[in-house]
Amino acid sequence: MAAGTVERSSSTARTRTRRFPALSFEGRMLAPALILLAALSLFPFVYIVIMSLSRVGLIGGIDLHWAGLHNWSKLFSDSSVGAAWVRSVVYFVLTVGLEMVLGIGIALLVHGMVWGKNLVISLVLMPMFMAPVIVGLLGRFLTDSTYGLYAWVLRETHVFSGDILGGTKSAFVAVTLMDVWEWTPLIALIVLAGLSSLPKPVLEAARVDGASYWQRLRYIVMPMIMGVVIVALLVRSMDAIRYFDIIYNTTNGGPADATKVVPIRLYETAFRFFDLGYAAAIGLSMLAVSILIANLFMRTLKRRGLAK
Amino acid sequence: MAGAGGAALWLGGCGGSSNSAKPVAGNEWKQFAGTTLNFISENTAPTSAIAANLAPFKQLTGIDIKITQLELTALVQKVALDFASGQGAYQIVYADPYQILAPYHEALVDLNTMMRDPNLPKLEDEADFIPVQLDAAGRFVDKDKVYALPYDAPTMIWQYRKDLFAKYGDRMKQDLGFDPTPSDNSTWEEFYKTSQWFLKNAKQDVPYGHGHQAKQHDSLMNDFSNVLWAYGGDYFKDGGTVGRFGSMDPGEPVLDSAEAVQAADVYRRLVSIAHPGSLGWDWDGLGAAFGAGQMAMAVNWHEFASGNETGKLKGKVGYARLPRGPKRSASMYGGTGLGINATASEREQKAAWLFVNWATSKKTQLAGLKSKVGGGTPTRDSVYKLPEVEKAKKPPSKMPNILTADAVFEAWKPENIGLRPKIAAWNECDTAIFTQLSKMLAGQQAPESCMRNTKDGFVKAIDNAASLKNA
Repeated sequence: MAAGTVERSSSTARTRTRRFPALSFEGRMLAPALILLAALSLFPFVYIVIMSLSRVGLIGGIDLHWAGLHNWSKLFSDSSVGAAWVRSVVYFVLTVGLEMVLGIGIALLVHGMVWGKNLVISLVLMPMFMAPVIVGLLGRFLTDSTYGLYAWVLRETHVFSGDILGGTKSAFVAVTLMDVWEWTPLIALIVLAGLSSLPKPVLEAARVDGASYWQRLRYIVMPMIMGVVIVALLVRSMDAIRYFDIIYNTTNGGPADATKVVPIRLYETAFRFFDLGYAAAIGLSMLAVSILIANLFMRTLKRRGLAK
Repeated sequence: MAGAGGAALWLGGCGGSSNSAKPVAGNEWKQFAGTTLNFISENTAPTSAIAANLAPFKQLTGIDIKITQLELTALVQKVALDFASGQGAYQIVYADPYQILAPYHEALVDLNTMMRDPNLPKLEDEADFIPVQLDAAGRFVDKDKVYALPYDAPTMIWQYRKDLFAKYGDRMKQDLGFDPTPSDNSTWEEFYKTSQWFLKNAKQDVPYGHGHQAKQHDSLMNDFSNVLWAYGGDYFKDGGTVGRFGSMDPGEPVLDSAEAVQAADVYRRLVSIAHPGSLGWDWDGLGAAFGAGQMAMAVNWHEFASGNETGKLKGKVGYARLPRGPKRSASMYGGTGLGINATASEREQKAAWLFVNWATSKKTQLAGLKSKVGGGTPTRDSVYKLPEVEKAKKPPSKMPNILTADAVFEAWKPENIGLRPKIAAWNECDTAIFTQLSKMLAGQQAPESCMRNTKDGFVKAIDNAASLKNA
């Protein structure tokens, strides 16, 4: 009887073990941090989802009233949000594209330097240590038509005589270039790290075999640093979707909505109109796009065998 | 007792009203000594003046005031979130009539309760506040309630280079066929022609005739509204009442009227010959450019006089009421009152009343005018009648903002004042109009479609605000 009981309980324990495998040592060590992280990120996430399904009253404490899919149907029929997404996509392609091209170019040039490499790296990296809000203020100052240095140079060289932040195209180009100026160094830094880890014997062998610079770059260097480049692309892409500070401090979305990207529209809805339910829906749509892009890059990395 | 004595002295110095002449009973100014209050304000001249000289208030009441000064948009955001939290972290609020008072008046204390409280210091002569300002900055719909006391009174006026008008006046008169010197009879059409003349004939002295604050920003709405009203257009059918007292149900917008469309067309023409920087400037940008000598004329808030009179244009700037249109002359009023956060504790609310009472008193307003950190814009009639203030109307003046007194008093007359709609949906309506105007100025739409789209934006915003209100 006793033996049978022991046998049964041992079998139950095995079943339990199969259903709920015991946490490994690493798992147990990580658990508190993971639980805290889940609480910190899951609670706001669930709250925002609930907000997106509600009308939010603000006086005397936040008051949620069930609104069903009202905010979501508004999101998909709101032409101004649609236009903001189009501008965000154009902006995303331009900034990330330019930053990648320039960043890789600068990294290759710096990597090939023999003298003064450290000094040049320090100078190149300086913009990315500035807060984006400062870059915005600096950009506004430099492009001001009364006392801005860039505005003066462009006017004196007869390249552009209007107000840089006052024209729809020039304002868009200006805020794009401000972002490119700040974040190209980050790409350069990441790519430079990738270049430094290249195996020298392979490059030397290619040189001995008579491969030109461009051939080595195309067939050896680029394939070998592609993983690092994709990581750089991923980092910047996630950030570019949330581009806000510089635009807020320079054009605030104008002129004629030319620089009103989704984060500016989101800010306006949340903190100018205080329509927090609708803002939550816009914010969640941004999150969905971010996850989509991240997955796209992760899949590429996996395909190349660069990520587990 | 010392505090009571100090209070009696302080208010006695203000003179004027029968209330202030009465001896202060007990220690009513000292009853909240040791309290710390937070005052949140836009970064304006009166607050800078008060921040630079808080010692008299501390001496009078024993209350510590911590001042947070922010750009208006950031201020509105912080105040709204404070109301939402229900914590009352900012007990004293710079209650912009359109962005705070109208949507959140329920979260502000009716100051009549403070005025009637026998245990609190009486308000020094309520009737001394310029009436239209008390209504516009302090009331919302219910005329029996006062949510804020007028604290500042920026008003848009015509600022022009006297030296250039003196130099070219005769030639301009001859060429244009009218006297271009700004006066009560000047029209927007004459303003346009005068600007054009400067652009063509005075390049060696000034690059452009005039500038605008036409950035896609609240400033664009302000700038355009002056022309809108002058040409007989308005936001709502009963625009005067909606602007002065506010409304919960303003009715259908009338922004697509023929007058409004004509005003939009005139505004487009004005901007087309203005300094190209106009499209990127708000009031600060325009003020800086005018101060840098980039234009002969500008329409800007009168408090920019203090900057004009301390920079390189010292003594060279004249101030006048805005030009007329076919209907009238209209000057946008941008004044704000001080309110008390109703979500704060009762003790804090009462302590906050002492500050609101003191900060809007005659003596504090006079001190603000004299302040070296920018100068105030008094909201009490009696301040402007003080002999030393009267004397300061003529340059050189130690109170530069007072150089504009004649122009602003003319602008504050009920028939001349420009009051934007005081409605709960204002923030969204404001965004609708400045966005559509910006599109018109960028050449993306004609004045007709601009005003039609603005009207549609207003309707949508009002519906949206109503649905949020009913939430």
